[in-house]
Amino acid sequence: MRRRFTKKQEASEINITPMLDIVFIMLIFFIVTTSFVKEISIDVNRPTKSPIKEQKKSEVISVRISSEGQIFIQDRLINLDAVRANIESNLALKPQASVVVVSDREADAGFLVKVIDQSRLAGASNVSIAAQK
Amino acid sequence: MLRRRKRIEEDSEINITPMMDIVFIMLIFFIVTTSFIKETGIDPSRPEAETARRAERGNILIAVSPNDQIWMNKGPIELEMVRILMESAHSENPESSVVVVADELASTGLVIDIMDQIRLSGISKVSLSAKEK
Repeated sequence: MRRRFTKKQEASEINITPMLDIVFIMLIFFIVTTSFVKEISIDVNRPTKSPIKEQKKSEVISVRISSEGQIFIQDRLINLDAVRANIESNLALKPQASVVVVSDREADAGFLVKVIDQSRLAGASNVSIAAQK
Repeated sequence: MLRRRKRIEEDSEINITPMMDIVFIMLIFFIVTTSFIKETGIDPSRPEAETARRAERGNILIAVSPNDQIWMNKGPIELEMVRILMESAHSENPESSVVVVADELASTGLVIDIMDQIRLSGISKVSLSAKEK
């Protein structure tokens, strides 16, 4: 009786060594391939070319960037540092307005990002970009 | 004598159950956190932005070099290829969003053209890469 009991106990033990091997190989694979680097970015909207509802001109604050990197808001030349204040005052007048950055094709992308950043800091929730033809 | 031998044999077996637990937890952690980001092949200098945020699920990267070359999957590509590559990348991973890593000196027109192509491929979430100030 006693002998039978020990035999049963031995049989119930599963050999987990092969499973452990596989699990270790998977673990090493995932450790090697994983990358925790997340890209830091700002969200922008690009107006689709398909016919969209024509936005009323009064609800759009347009910021124009020339090829030399000059910024115009309502045809007034302003400094990059003044963009935020200008958009803030415009937003105070029309709180629902969205900002459209119209950039010359030759302008630097870094400059565009800075202008978008400044308008976001001013509190504009909807910033979209467009290219000047 | 017999008894002593048996004892030694018993001692030599290490209990690997806690190790298995730890290995499994690590494996699950790496499986969950891993995201297969394909490197673009170049590292442009990103513009600084204060409102930049971490792009969650920003898995598809496309880079623009200072001299207006488009890079994706470690190779330069043409603008016409962007749409096809985006479509295939999107079908592989439908929840991912695109991050355009444009150099500060890249031209805005090309960046907007790329964003248009990405839009046409059916991806709605596009953001511009930046670095934190």
